[in-house]
Amino acid sequence: MKNLIRNIIYQGKNLLRDAGFSFWVMLYPLILAMFFNIAFSGMMDIELTNIDVGIVDGNPIEQVLEEIEFINIHKITDEEVIEKLDNEEIHGFIDEDLNLTVKKSGINQTIIKEIIEQIKQMEKLNRPIENYDFEANYIVDRNQKANSIIVVFFSLIAMFSTYSINAGISTVSLTQANLSNIGVRVNSTPLKKKNFLLAGVIVALFLNLLANGVLLLFVKYVLKIDLLKNIKYSIILIIIGNLFGVSLGMFIGASNKKSMNTKILIGVASTLFLSFLSGMMGPWMKDVIDEHIPILARINPISIISNNLYRINILESTKTVGEGIMILFSYCGVLILLSYMFLRRKSYDSL
Amino acid sequence: MVVEVKNLVKRYKELIALDHFNMEVEEGEILGLLGPNGCGKTTAINCILSLLNYDKGEIRVFGEKMTPNSYDIKREIGLVPQEVSVFENLTVIENTDYFCGLYIDDKNKRKQYVEEAIEFVGLKDYTKFYPKKLSGGLKRRLNIACGIAHKPKLIFLDEPTVAVDVQSRNFILNGIEKLNDEGSTIIYTTHYLEEAERLCKRIIIMDKGRGLVSGTNEELKSMISTSEKIVVGFTEIEDETVQNMKNILHVMDIEKAGEDYIIKFENGFNNLANLMNFIEENQLVYTKLQSQLPTLNDVFLELTGKELRD
Repeated sequence: MKNLIRNIIYQGKNLLRDAGFSFWVMLYPLILAMFFNIAFSGMMDIELTNIDVGIVDGNPIEQVLEEIEFINIHKITDEEVIEKLDNEEIHGFIDEDLNLTVKKSGINQTIIKEIIEQIKQMEKLNRPIENYDFEANYIVDRNQKANSIIVVFFSLIAMFSTYSINAGISTVSLTQANLSNIGVRVNSTPLKKKNFLLAGVIVALFLNLLANGVLLLFVKYVLKIDLLKNIKYSIILIIIGNLFGVSLGMFIGASNKKSMNTKILIGVASTLFLSFLSGMMGPWMKDVIDEHIPILARINPISIISNNLYRINILESTKTVGEGIMILFSYCGVLILLSYMFLRRKSYDSL
Repeated sequence: MVVEVKNLVKRYKELIALDHFNMEVEEGEILGLLGPNGCGKTTAINCILSLLNYDKGEIRVFGEKMTPNSYDIKREIGLVPQEVSVFENLTVIENTDYFCGLYIDDKNKRKQYVEEAIEFVGLKDYTKFYPKKLSGGLKRRLNIACGIAHKPKLIFLDEPTVAVDVQSRNFILNGIEKLNDEGSTIIYTTHYLEEAERLCKRIIIMDKGRGLVSGTNEELKSMISTSEKIVVGFTEIEDETVQNMKNILHVMDIEKAGEDYIIKFENGFNNLANLMNFIEENQLVYTKLQSQLPTLNDVFLELTGKELRD
């Protein structure tokens, strides 16, 4: 036990003082979160004001449009439409048959289109249009857009929860005499390999969880985005994400004799690709996967973490958490088993 | 016997790294494994330590069969690997303490051992330094400190002086002699023959995975036909006179080396006096006269037909 604690302290010091580790695990998540916040903040702050709509005099929905506060009506003739659109004096033109003409696509044009759709639906249902609260409905729509951006942040957290992959790779490398010089020395001592490995795994989990904690505090208090409502399940998911990262790192580290840098590259590329599929580079990817290959979202570990973080914190549903945890645990089990098969060798064919 | 290796065979696919290699190390001695790079010295050490699988043979350390699980045997062994094997982000004292702690549980005893090891390798002024801040020679010293801090009975030093400056080399060699004086048995690999001659009580000369010969420094030198070489330079000498020189007692061969002649003598005495008589009788004028006793390089040359540093 004493030896385990000493190993944890020294391996922890060695890892924490590593400039590469400090940057990629501690600092990089904060930089990326800040970058995402800047990049997507425009989408999160849509203001519904001053949407200029052109109509001809006597348009059947003129009165309805007048009731909508954020719509400015411009009465124009059919001949003026192109000119007004070209000069960007109006965002769109609605003709008497409720067809929309726009010059370019954008949020304001989308909103006009949505309003027309809503009016058409109300007419079909024979419901009085005057009772419809367009602004309230667009506020809901805006929140849904904001929630899509939150998907990005949940994917980000999911990805960084698996960043323990780097420490997993490093620990395995230090354990194996055929992978590092330290490994040669360690294997010549009376220290049992499993104790060294266990200490490395504990250090990897502890430091990466610490980095995840810093990231969450940064997002909440600096970026002012309140992501986690269900702390208990969120922490469980993040811990399992860390465990998955270490397991995958151990597997990548133990399964081949590539250089340390190549292995780290493989690790980072894998997590980045899985994060991309889970919607980290844009919520549209998640929509595409959900629509065309839904099974991928169910088996992609980063998706499992980010989707469940979304469900438990935004939709307040814990329905799929159990299944997600089971799948992640299965991955960990398989990866640890495979790693063990490579690591159990005590003598090597070559060093 | 501290280490016994019998008929050790290690193959890397088609390459035979160790070819029926034998070795015996007695308690308290410094045994040198001498040979060119790639001759199998490090492979032999790694097999003895059970780091490498081997195809055939038997290895016993402290009288017991060595396996990867021989933790009690490993407790008595110290390894100074060829490559500097320390944690880059731990200081000198932390590295030494970490590796010493893998053998020594008692905190006070460990503290004392660590301090002694750091003083032993002359790194007392560098205890808070990280390895990357140390010169190549000082890093090598740290590598040694990490391998010997726990005061092992048997120490493997695998080319510990490669790429170090003269000052550090002398420091390291003095330290190894001191370790041996304190009772440690040492297995020392090198391709520097001067080091082997200076340190080792017994030497095994290796080439292509085989132990060619073994013995003390003197025993090895006595195994070869040349016992003395005299290098002589003349202002002028005729070919016929050179041929006549071959008739001097004990002369085996004469080689021309630039402007000089290297005269090789068989075992025997008064070689220099006999040569001087010849010079006087033939009224030759010499510009250079230098007697050389055979070196381990001559032994290696005669055994393999190539220089040790090839």
